[in-house]
Amino acid sequence: MFGYILRRLLIAMGTVWMISMIAFAIIQLPPGDYVTSYIAQLMATGTLVTQEEAENLRIQYGLHQPLYAQYARWVWLMMQGNFGVSMEWQRPVLEVIGDRLLLTALLAFAAVIFTWILAIPIGIYSAVRQYSIGDYIFTFIGFIGLAVPSFLLALVVMYLTFAYFGASIGGLFSTEYLDAPWSLARVWDLCKHLWVPALILGTAGTAQLVRILRANLLDELRKPYVVTARAKGLSELRTILKYPVRVALNPFISTIGYTLPFLVSGSIIVSIVLSLPTVGPLLLKALIAQDMFLAGTIVLLLGLMTVIGTLISDILLVWIDPRIRLEE
Amino acid sequence: MCKVWLPRKQYGVLVCLTITLVALALGGGVTRQASAQGGGTLMGRLEGPRVISDRERFPSQYQEAPALADLVQQGKLPPVQERIGSDPLVIEPVREIGNYGGIWRRGFSGPADFWNGYRCCGHDRILFWDYTGNIVVPNVAKGWEISEGGRVFTIFLRRGMKWSDGHPFTADDFMFWYEDIYQHDELVPTKAPILAIDDKPGRMEKVDDSTIRFVFSQPYYVFLDMLAGATAVGGHSYQGRSLMGGFAPRHYLQQFHPRYVGQEAVDQLVKAAGYDNWASFMRYINDWSLNPDLPTVTAWQTTSPINTPIWVLERNPYFYMVDSAGNQLPYIDKVVLTLAENLEVLNLRAIAGEYHYQSRHIDISKLPVFLENQRRGNYTVSLDPADSGCDACLFFNQTYDADPEIATWLQNRDFRIALSHGMDREQLNEAFWLGLGTSGSQVLAESSPYNPGPEYRTMHSTYDPQRANQMLDALGLTRKDSQGYRLRTDGKGRLRLEMTTVGGQFLQFTQIAEMIREQWGKIGIQADVNEIERSLAITRVGANELQIHLWQNDGTEHPFTFPAHLFPFSPSGLGGSNIGPLWSRWFRTNGVQGREPTAPMKKLMALWKQGFTVPDAQRIEIGKEIWRVAVEQQWALGTVGLSPAGMGVRIVSNRLGNSPGRQYNSPDGMTPAPSRPETFFFK
Repeated sequence: MFGYILRRLLIAMGTVWMISMIAFAIIQLPPGDYVTSYIAQLMATGTLVTQEEAENLRIQYGLHQPLYAQYARWVWLMMQGNFGVSMEWQRPVLEVIGDRLLLTALLAFAAVIFTWILAIPIGIYSAVRQYSIGDYIFTFIGFIGLAVPSFLLALVVMYLTFAYFGASIGGLFSTEYLDAPWSLARVWDLCKHLWVPALILGTAGTAQLVRILRANLLDELRKPYVVTARAKGLSELRTILKYPVRVALNPFISTIGYTLPFLVSGSIIVSIVLSLPTVGPLLLKALIAQDMFLAGTIVLLLGLMTVIGTLISDILLVWIDPRIRLEE
Repeated sequence: MCKVWLPRKQYGVLVCLTITLVALALGGGVTRQASAQGGGTLMGRLEGPRVISDRERFPSQYQEAPALADLVQQGKLPPVQERIGSDPLVIEPVREIGNYGGIWRRGFSGPADFWNGYRCCGHDRILFWDYTGNIVVPNVAKGWEISEGGRVFTIFLRRGMKWSDGHPFTADDFMFWYEDIYQHDELVPTKAPILAIDDKPGRMEKVDDSTIRFVFSQPYYVFLDMLAGATAVGGHSYQGRSLMGGFAPRHYLQQFHPRYVGQEAVDQLVKAAGYDNWASFMRYINDWSLNPDLPTVTAWQTTSPINTPIWVLERNPYFYMVDSAGNQLPYIDKVVLTLAENLEVLNLRAIAGEYHYQSRHIDISKLPVFLENQRRGNYTVSLDPADSGCDACLFFNQTYDADPEIATWLQNRDFRIALSHGMDREQLNEAFWLGLGTSGSQVLAESSPYNPGPEYRTMHSTYDPQRANQMLDALGLTRKDSQGYRLRTDGKGRLRLEMTTVGGQFLQFTQIAEMIREQWGKIGIQADVNEIERSLAITRVGANELQIHLWQNDGTEHPFTFPAHLFPFSPSGLGGSNIGPLWSRWFRTNGVQGREPTAPMKKLMALWKQGFTVPDAQRIEIGKEIWRVAVEQQWALGTVGLSPAGMGVRIVSNRLGNSPGRQYNSPDGMTPAPSRPETFFFK
């Protein structure tokens, strides 16, 4: 087991290194560089950047160097624990991401919890009472939930808050708490805002989860061990929760690998629509602005999370299900 | 619905949905109401605060904000008289003397949106424009003198003026900038061309503590405009982030400069701050929007930097401006800009009345919704039409050479004029400007001194498809294919022109081009519209690959300080660069590289250079002549302009006082700065 984990870790490091190279190359692929997109942005809002200023910026950011030299510089900085200074934000990349990481993880976490709280009971109900009125209603709502893109839901919710509640639109904090230090009042303010995006993000996931759980559970419910348990006189609730539901939950463990990057990037489109201060919009902006260090680091972080997540779910699977054996 | 509300930029679908939702909910048919309400009532009279220069009318006593008075009482701040010094800038507010206090809320779009806060709250040009945008008035400097035939500019500073930390503001701050920053090759590797005339660099000299002078080897009369305009010497807050600006706080910056503290100490500072080179670090330290410790001379100073979710600016207790009753400005205590991750959210927040004064990022296509919600949001909408003549110009590449036949036609003046007559500008105006623009050529507003005459607005720029057809026939483009499109003369099929558009900030260039394509179809010209990403457009303009390119010509009302869209001034850029990327290289390198322009363009370029060297009256004549050449040649076809599309839709809270009826709207003037936001106040 230990040898297996060590080997996986070594492979993971290689993978991350490959990701860093590919990420850097892809960010460089669009024509122009940070300075061109900077000039374009400024011209669009009526500001002129002279040729001299542009040259000075290129020299400052080392953009006049060839690609491999820029990559080498980035890797060299990273090895010293310095992820560079974001060109657009003019702050160390780690600080820029760090600011938003907590809120992003919190939001994703809230969304996941919301999904599970709602989806598991409904999924169980739908399977146990298959083809009942309740099952049809939940199935109907579930399919709508699956079919409606979450950003559309976000727009509707945003409009409703504007039209009927007069609440401040988008964001995770009221204006007065935006830059305030953490306090109980600020946490409460966050809670007041957090439920909306969590609900929106969670809805699509809920519908999906309900369907998966229902299908898995239906398979399990028909197996002989359930019949045996019932025959032995176990209460219905205990029968279902103790055995088939546990087995039906198994596929979720193997998808934990995808939850980790989700915690980092969240849902980009919903975050943009709702103007949430999360990592998603940051990544999009960094890519548009060709802010290499920032975009590169986020992509690298996402890669890293996926690699770690996959590793964790592999280990968990082995641990939970003894039928899975490691290949020697 | 989406036909009317055209989507923009990368979130096209989202945008369309948002707008449709909002518009549906607020009731249909808003467009019609808007055109009924549009025009007259929304556009007020051009007005603004005035600078009082007559010392007789100077107030004898100064008053200050209550919070500052408390600090003076506690002994934490010197008295207001001492803080302002003996030479204040006295401003007569546009309407009334205001009250102190309040928080001015705005929205901004992120760390790249520097100009949002700078334009409202940070201008510290050495000299500045008055509210008309045509006359230079004192600003940081109290006066100037031009001598030796326009070669020497003596600038008089304000005696007793202070930086925001209370340190004296003197000629040494100018000399420090000039000697230790501007002339330092690591900080400023490429020097500013505006500090040179005829390629011979000028120099800055200290005369005494409150006087400096710029000395040039040739006459350089327009340098006065350079000190007032958006140029490399356009002030510390504007240019400090690129380390130009004309002055810098010597007492603060020298602790980061090797000349004063040694290389070793500086290296340590740079490393500790996480920067990999000193120049980047200095640009951060000297950035008005990023470094709260940086002393400034602006009305408000950054306390929470631009790279956080709210950008906060607070009153500078040492600010040198007072109103005509002697109250130290600014009236408003604090400016808070809230980050919006996308512009739709920003616009929705404006509709909800969350901002007190905002025109930046306000989308003209949402005007009906803004008008609908005026009472509910407790704001008033005003329009500030720009002085630039064209919000969506068609720039014809005169040095295009990938396809000889196409190149010939692009270079043919009659061909361009024929295409111009083939455009129904009124249709464009109604569809995309809600009828609020003025159609015609690309010429600037008649109120500008450089305007060559009213006839230039309509010259070659009327809708006359019959004439267009005649002209095209006369050029030999008589053969048409079965669908009625004209054929190339070299027998290679249909003549196809390519119009390249990019996602605009204020208008939907692609949709505009599509409509022009339809209109040209009626005169038998096939044009293909191709939208590309902005950076790619800059790269392709620079590579001389585009045929016709759509962009605005903002700033051209100041042709000498803001020439970018008037002629190919810069080899890589949007808009004007596409008149001839190779010509601009020729211009930049004094004929060493690139391609020699045609006679009219050479004339225009020579006139532009000549304009720098002559006194105002002559320069105005030269400016008119430049515009005559530009309009006669039609290198850029105008469509609709003089409109409020570019940051000209102003949402002002009904609680805010001293907001003018109409203001000068221009990038060179950094609107709303000419309206002196220091005099805005809460009623």
